[in-house]
Amino acid sequence: MTNTGFRKVLRRREFTVLGLIVVLVVLFSLTTERFMSVSNLSNLLLQLAGTAISAIGMTMVIITGGIDVSVGSTLGMASVVAGKLLVGGYSPFLVLLSALGAGLVIGLFNGTLIAFGNVPPIIVTLGMMSILRSLMYQLLGGRWISGIPPAIRVIGLGKWLGVPISMWITVVLIAFFTYFLSSRPLGRAIYAVGNNPEAARVSGIDLRRTTLFVYAVLGALAGFAGLVYVARTGIVQTNTGSGFELEVIAAVVLGGTSILGGRGTVIGSLLGAFLVGIIKNGMVLLNVPALSEGLVVGVLIILSVMIDVIRARGERS
Amino acid sequence: MKRVLDYIVENRVLFLLVLFVALFVVFAVSVPGFFTFYNLTNMTQYGVELGLLALAEMLVILSGGGGIDLSVGSMLTIVAMIIGVLIGRVGLNPSLSILLGLFAGAGMGYLNGVLVSYTGILPFIVTLASLYIYKSLALIIAVDPRFGPNPMPVSNFPESFYFVGQYRIAGIPFQVLCIFIPVILLLWLLLEKSIFGRYLYGVGSNEKAALFSGINVCRVRVTVYTLSGILSALSGWIITSRIASARPDIGTGYELQAITIAVLGGVSIKGGEGSIGGVVLGIAIITLLYNGMQLAGIHQIWQLGSLGVVLVGSVLLNQVLLARRKI
Repeated sequence: MTNTGFRKVLRRREFTVLGLIVVLVVLFSLTTERFMSVSNLSNLLLQLAGTAISAIGMTMVIITGGIDVSVGSTLGMASVVAGKLLVGGYSPFLVLLSALGAGLVIGLFNGTLIAFGNVPPIIVTLGMMSILRSLMYQLLGGRWISGIPPAIRVIGLGKWLGVPISMWITVVLIAFFTYFLSSRPLGRAIYAVGNNPEAARVSGIDLRRTTLFVYAVLGALAGFAGLVYVARTGIVQTNTGSGFELEVIAAVVLGGTSILGGRGTVIGSLLGAFLVGIIKNGMVLLNVPALSEGLVVGVLIILSVMIDVIRARGERS
Repeated sequence: MKRVLDYIVENRVLFLLVLFVALFVVFAVSVPGFFTFYNLTNMTQYGVELGLLALAEMLVILSGGGGIDLSVGSMLTIVAMIIGVLIGRVGLNPSLSILLGLFAGAGMGYLNGVLVSYTGILPFIVTLASLYIYKSLALIIAVDPRFGPNPMPVSNFPESFYFVGQYRIAGIPFQVLCIFIPVILLLWLLLEKSIFGRYLYGVGSNEKAALFSGINVCRVRVTVYTLSGILSALSGWIITSRIASARPDIGTGYELQAITIAVLGGVSIKGGEGSIGGVVLGIAIITLLYNGMQLAGIHQIWQLGSLGVVLVGSVLLNQVLLARRKI
């Protein structure tokens, strides 16, 4: 009985990723002196937070069978809004609300077009990605925003018990959404929509509302990640967040969420984000040229998914 | 009137044609310098590079099974760098270098195809991974050890290399007349007149049925991903010749624009549906839009924004009109 339970754990994708993380951590701490240092680890966590926070929302979107390639632009747009207000001297609380609000509005817009306009998610979010990028340029006028007041930078750089505050927030969000997805009716509905939309509809789930919900949440989370980004780096540029969408999707996919929908966990995505972050960090410490970072991440994505596929074949036969 | 509207909605190509003509008229009337022989021929050369990538996406998306190729921009970049390094740094014969570049494109596309077909990993994931891998390889190739550890562009090409990207025949850019139009014709023959075309649509619209009727599904898919690699490589060669420089970041972001054009052209993201006529019109519309906006003095960054609006707007309009007709 416990034997099969144990096997079940071993078979889970999260376990594969966790195993890889452990192997890498051991490897890097043996080969480099700095990897295990407090400053390096907290630096690693700082850089991870934005990806991990957005990955929560992306996980839900992908579980419903959708995709959102506009997260990078959403993060960028929210950071423009936050940056402008911060430099304008508005209160941090108002800035927080505005960043969340900007993301939420974008998410609602995406969700409405997808749920009520019947436009495929990849098309809506591709379009949104380009539109937002142009708007960002318009708002910034080709200049940077810098000179972010130090008070707000606590969200991006501050620490509590040695761990960055942004990581604490990430952990709280992960815990909440894990509970939400496994135990709340709307959370279960998200899986149902991804597994079998027709069956979900017949059993009384409002497909449109569920779809709208996941895109709105992702938008708001990406907006928050934008604020964290501004607080961490202190700079906003026109290309802020470009390419971020693929990073988030890579983390989610590495974490075992099926791109076909219906399967995945936010903890898996967090582990996926960690895996990518640790590899990047370790390579810098090992003085591997940053150029080959993509090579390693790409090969890793293929290998980890292939392990899944081979395992699934083994189970079938 | 309603029947005309219905017909236009049902027929994507006609819808795009109307959009194209409307845009053309608007620009011709309102933008000075637009309706001149020089401008009209000149702008076609900008459509070629993105157009080849859009055709690549068309083939891959048509093949179904979640078919998509996110790596076209990276393949373009790596081929540009291979050609650039072979000619500019190694000093190899340009023709041979270009040939090797095209082979490299085919090889990378083939690898994508094999991974998609034989391992069961979804195209989205395979090509997301290869986007990273090829981009990274392009950066590594671009490093010139003589000038330190950073990737560097290559720009010392012989004069003959610029022929493809910068010369004109009877006022029409060489790459349009001698590469783009022949490629379109060949793909049209492939899709509409060959058995392979029937197989491709069959595989894309119903994989199981195609399998049971004896079509080698894997081979069809490997072929389209390989073609995608070749088309991206062509694009990489042309762009390098036109701007007279091989840059290690040249293709970044192209993949999403290419997908946008293919979808705008009426290729269903689910596969098996779409025509080359639609995609060619999609390319024409976007080229026109970019050019008209540029002449009107609108900043280049708005090209992207307008692309997004056209994409979402056209698909949304289609859906709304379709839904209204059903009632």
